[in-house]
Amino acid sequence: MKLIERRLTPNNSPTAIAATMLAAVLAAMLIASFLFLDFGANPFAAYYALFHEPFATLRGFGYAIVKATPLILIALGTIVAWRSGFTYLGFEGCFTLGAAASAWLALATAPGQWAASLSPFVFFPAAILLSFFVGAFWSGLTGVLRARFGGNEVLISLMSNYVAILIVKYLVAGPMRAPGSLPETDQLPHATWLAFILPGTRAHAGILLAIAAALLVWMLLRKLPLGFELVVSGMNPAAGRYAGIDVPRRTLFAAAISGGLGALAGLTEILGVQHRLMDGISGGVGFTGVIVALLAELNPIAVIPTALLYGGMTVGADAMQRRAGIPSSITFILQSLIVLLVLASSMLRSYRLNLGALRSKKEATQA
Amino acid sequence: MSAFSQAFLVTWLTAGIRLGGPVLLAALGETFAERSGILNLGIEGILLLGALASYLTSIHTGSLWLPLLAAMASGLAASLFLAWMYVTVRASQVVVGLVFNVLALGIAATVYRRTLAHASAGPIAMFQAVHIPWLSDLPILGPTIFSQTLPLYLTLVLVAVAHFALFHTRFGVGLRAAGENPRAADAAGVSVPRMRYFGTLLSGAAAGLAGGYLVLAQIGLFRDSIVAGQGFIALGIVIFGRWSPWKAALAAMVFGTCDALQLSLQLLGTHLPEDLLLSIPYVVTILAISGIFGGRDARPAALTVPYLKDA
Repeated sequence: MKLIERRLTPNNSPTAIAATMLAAVLAAMLIASFLFLDFGANPFAAYYALFHEPFATLRGFGYAIVKATPLILIALGTIVAWRSGFTYLGFEGCFTLGAAASAWLALATAPGQWAASLSPFVFFPAAILLSFFVGAFWSGLTGVLRARFGGNEVLISLMSNYVAILIVKYLVAGPMRAPGSLPETDQLPHATWLAFILPGTRAHAGILLAIAAALLVWMLLRKLPLGFELVVSGMNPAAGRYAGIDVPRRTLFAAAISGGLGALAGLTEILGVQHRLMDGISGGVGFTGVIVALLAELNPIAVIPTALLYGGMTVGADAMQRRAGIPSSITFILQSLIVLLVLASSMLRSYRLNLGALRSKKEATQA
Repeated sequence: MSAFSQAFLVTWLTAGIRLGGPVLLAALGETFAERSGILNLGIEGILLLGALASYLTSIHTGSLWLPLLAAMASGLAASLFLAWMYVTVRASQVVVGLVFNVLALGIAATVYRRTLAHASAGPIAMFQAVHIPWLSDLPILGPTIFSQTLPLYLTLVLVAVAHFALFHTRFGVGLRAAGENPRAADAAGVSVPRMRYFGTLLSGAAAGLAGGYLVLAQIGLFRDSIVAGQGFIALGIVIFGRWSPWKAALAAMVFGTCDALQLSLQLLGTHLPEDLLLSIPYVVTILAISGIFGGRDARPAALTVPYLKDA
């Protein structure tokens, strides 16, 4: 009798799932502790810094909301695409292009420009529509290649990120460049900034847009016939076709919505945080958003707390860097280790610890 | 042909073949992974780890070959973990690869900062161009193909080795069967998990080496942004090359020449915007794998499909 034996069917009870996931998170934190020790820091102090600032101080919580906003929108884009069977990974590009589109419209409202008389009541809806359509068009290109020609959307969308980033790099170095030394645009007019919503913090109205989007995506996927068709196309394209669903058309639709949501993430970053367009604003958020969606098990509502937790850890990492001198890149390690170990934790549920074997072994030695 | 246009052509093609080398090496390994049924998206991160390992080894030893060995070892270690996730845990290959790339970025950034406190980070010893006697005197071909660095020649040799291993050995047959029809392969006595482990490990070793190649023969420095999507491009080249080593070599050279076009055009003094020229290789790769030109049929049928024997 073996001490650890394989189960015929994995134990997938809620308790087992919760226990193995918790074990995975603790294991990831334990591994990261060794890194903290290596940098001469006390792991307890490091974890305290990581979680205290974003979740126990108002200023830190405001920053956590700021960081969570684009993550929520990108995660929602991921959910719409992936649940429809379209494994899109082009959010870095959508984010950057959405940021550029909203910056362009905002700069056009500066005095003397063609849209100078635009009231904020027109500007914000117009900026949202414009960014959304730019993102939808961009991801739609990948959607067409997949739906019409059967191209591999995973690689095409990964590649398209570099193209989008280079396009925006060209824009800020050339046509949209402000007079001055750095390749960046002018600061956007104050009237185009998203309002700050928590006094004493940097949290801006973009979070309201993100929450509204989460509710809309939840409604689309759970309540509307169109969403049902999308999910069916994703789960089983053959069954979808048999049921009379135009699967390529649904794929294209899902691609467009998903890219549009990714572009709105760029809008919130530009109008809410940066207030000017420059090179390299995405900084990997397009991939982090995908990871957030996966951790939330592609559930549009669960995305909100998950993104807050993830965004908070990013804020905490900066605090950790200031206080303990630990490079904030360690949070990349911690975050991705958590995801990988949570994925691997399903293995634990396929095995069972056989305490009976231990006992019989003891009896055997005593005998 | 005027002397000027010949000089332009030679500069362009030489740079093209030079730039195509590392992605070809990574694509060769990835061909084995994909032929066994594993889409290893994690090679982008492995390239980065290989580059870091070789840079650090080079700083500490000054050797040319030890860093390559370190790069390969780091690639093997990383891909052993990836293979466990892909094959044993049977987690989603796209998700694992993607998250691994974030992990690799975190590890590279952290280790680089940690070790820089001790060692000075300066330029390192690099592979120099080796002129092959007689052949390098040929017009155009001489300077472009026969005056490259040793890693490039070795990569070209590996193309032939990979082709032979894949299509003319028992191992190759088993590997391809695992990716085409795992159930049939299993029935024929081929261990599908073992083949997929081998495929993933080969892709990791090659990607690690490719990272070392980047540092030791092309750049001579390390930065977090050194890989810049070349791992993803290698994945595109596998598709573009229809999962065949020698076609991947052609595809990598096409990619390299597109990449080099921008350098050569700047040399000519054209006023096209540099950033848009830089996007040419990515656009060409997208078009090549878009499906517009066919090619879906060559894809291993069980690619990204986890295999469970008991089911």
